Amino acid sequence: MSARNPVQQLSGRSRSQVPRWLRIVVIGRNPKVTLVRAAVLAVLCILGYKFTLLHIRVEGISMLPTYQDGSAHFVNRVAYLWHEPRRGDVVSIRLAGIHLMYLKRVIGMPGETVAFVNGQVLINGQALDEPYEKLPCGWNLPPEKLGPDEYFVVGDNRSMPSENHTFGKVERNRIVGKAIP
Amino acid sequence: MKTVFRFVLLAALVALGVWLWFVLFPSPEKAIRQRLAELARTASFSSGESDLARLAAAQKLAGCFSTNVEVDINVPGRVQHTLIGRDEIKQAAFGARSTLSGLKVTFPDINITVAPGKQSATVDLTVEVNIAGEHDSIVQEMNFTLQKTDGKWLITRVETVRTLS
Repeated sequence: MSARNPVQQLSGRSRSQVPRWLRIVVIGRNPKVTLVRAAVLAVLCILGYKFTLLHIRVEGISMLPTYQDGSAHFVNRVAYLWHEPRRGDVVSIRLAGIHLMYLKRVIGMPGETVAFVNGQVLINGQALDEPYEKLPCGWNLPPEKLGPDEYFVVGDNRSMPSENHTFGKVERNRIVGKAIP
Repeated sequence: MKTVFRFVLLAALVALGVWLWFVLFPSPEKAIRQRLAELARTASFSSGESDLARLAAAQKLAGCFSTNVEVDINVPGRVQHTLIGRDEIKQAAFGARSTLSGLKVTFPDINITVAPGKQSATVDLTVEVNIAGEHDSIVQEMNFTLQKTDGKWLITRVETVRTLS
């Protein structure tokens, strides 16, 4: 005659009640391996989101038609670890922090002179080819010389008057990363 | 059992003392964050305010600033304004509450640098302003200077920072 522990009886019964396929789906064939996998995945996600990818939501129309108002994207924070921003890159620019940032395109590199003549961008007096620029622009802005650590950034939507558009020179240390379309 | 109870009670009393100390004597950074949170809360409003409520809110908002405060706001294409003294701030706040149907002010990023003497501080922050009925919010980086006066952190200077020049 044997008296089984009620807790053992209960756990034994509940284990037998759960179908095997469901247990495999939920906790895997080997729960210890699943746990380790989940922990590694969690650490990778935390590291990825904290130091590599930054999730952003676009607000406003200044980057139309490339980036739509309300669309969600990622910013690659390590894109400029090995090389500096390049012309044509869409970059995020921090203000006091990274909770709210500007999203702009780099058109002028350090040391260059940038000007707008009837909507055409001139870099050191030469016209810049901008295939991403789809909307009409009639801006006229005098030449502006960039410093050794400055980039010229502007939105793709230049259909509004230049006074209503946030653009201009930005220091390198404000560029957080490169936007992933 | 009695000793354990006494030990637990002592630990609880010490924890309560530490908590009270931090509540009554917050660090400068915490006090400044509280001041800025109060500023954002007071500056925000929704429609349907009475004149008396507007006046009280404007008065409370002005109380966050020192008497000789200087506010220099320059947002290209939007606002260009300089306010000097509490009275001008009060008037501007009352005017804004009368004209706009609603406003929400938030400071999503705040960087505080307290001076060595712990009597003054500079704050670099991002301001986000949502005006009722407008789709796009106004985003601006700003610089605040605060000074400790009679135990209170008051804003003595506000100026806009040109992130893109």
